[in-house]
Amino acid sequence: MATDRELVIRVTGSDDQGAFQMLVERHQAAIRGFLVRLTAGDRGTADDLAQETFLLAYRKLHTLKAGSSLVSWLHTIAYRQFLQDRRKHARQRVMAEPPEPGHDPRQAMDASILLPALLSHVNEHERACLTLAYAEGMSHPEIGEITGLPLGTVKSHISRGKRKLQEWLLEHDHSLSGPGRAGGPGQETNRA
Amino acid sequence: MPDAFDRKLQELLSYPRPPAPGDDPFVADVMRELRAERRRRHVILGVFGGIGAAFGLAGAAMLLDDIAGVFTRDISAMALTQGALFLAGAAAFYSWFMNDDWSTGG
Repeated sequence: MATDRELVIRVTGSDDQGAFQMLVERHQAAIRGFLVRLTAGDRGTADDLAQETFLLAYRKLHTLKAGSSLVSWLHTIAYRQFLQDRRKHARQRVMAEPPEPGHDPRQAMDASILLPALLSHVNEHERACLTLAYAEGMSHPEIGEITGLPLGTVKSHISRGKRKLQEWLLEHDHSLSGPGRAGGPGQETNRA
Repeated sequence: MPDAFDRKLQELLSYPRPPAPGDDPFVADVMRELRAERRRRHVILGVFGGIGAAFGLAGAAMLLDDIAGVFTRDISAMALTQGALFLAGAAAFYSWFMNDDWSTGG
């Protein structure tokens, strides 16, 4: 199977659209998943932004330096597309609403329902840092590179975001000590 | 507690990431939009390139008799200002047209 680097060379060298399609097929799930988390579960917006991300990546692929990680670079573009979209639609965007008082999320344990409510309690920078750390298993310096935030800020976003989520989960009586599903795509993320 | 919470967060925030099959609607949409964008660019660049070439030819024809003067006459401040404005406009158009984000380089 061709590596990312080989595919990138085929795209930039001979404008091979088949090679680019293979890159999209390979990385779409990670980028769409990342954007779904950033948009707090808004799949429509996430897919639009993911499409923009890949189109911009195609235009700028020649600027990707040899030795740079394509995955990190795609996440950087996705994050910037998300911030740009936020600025553009700052006024009219309907944010995922926090749960109403009295709403018991225990009745909605499904992650697809729980997650948007949960993520709406942290701001977009905290969301991005937490997702990159826990879903992608990235280190703090890598997260800093993607988000353009200083290392100390990344650390404080992660720790503040964690605290908020922990408080929210405890407040809504979600078990934190139960047997977490081992594995998942992430690696050990105790760096956070 | 922090370890259990880390696991919980990892469980909540992770997402499946199987490679998409070739006929995945998202991939198909991206590739379709890519081809449409390339066509649009070719048309726009062709039209603007044609207009530019036509102006260039017309200008060359008009200056043919006095072409040496173009390089020997002093360039006025007004001409310099107009040139700078034109260059800035061209750069702005290019940035908008290419949707360039300089910060994504690298």
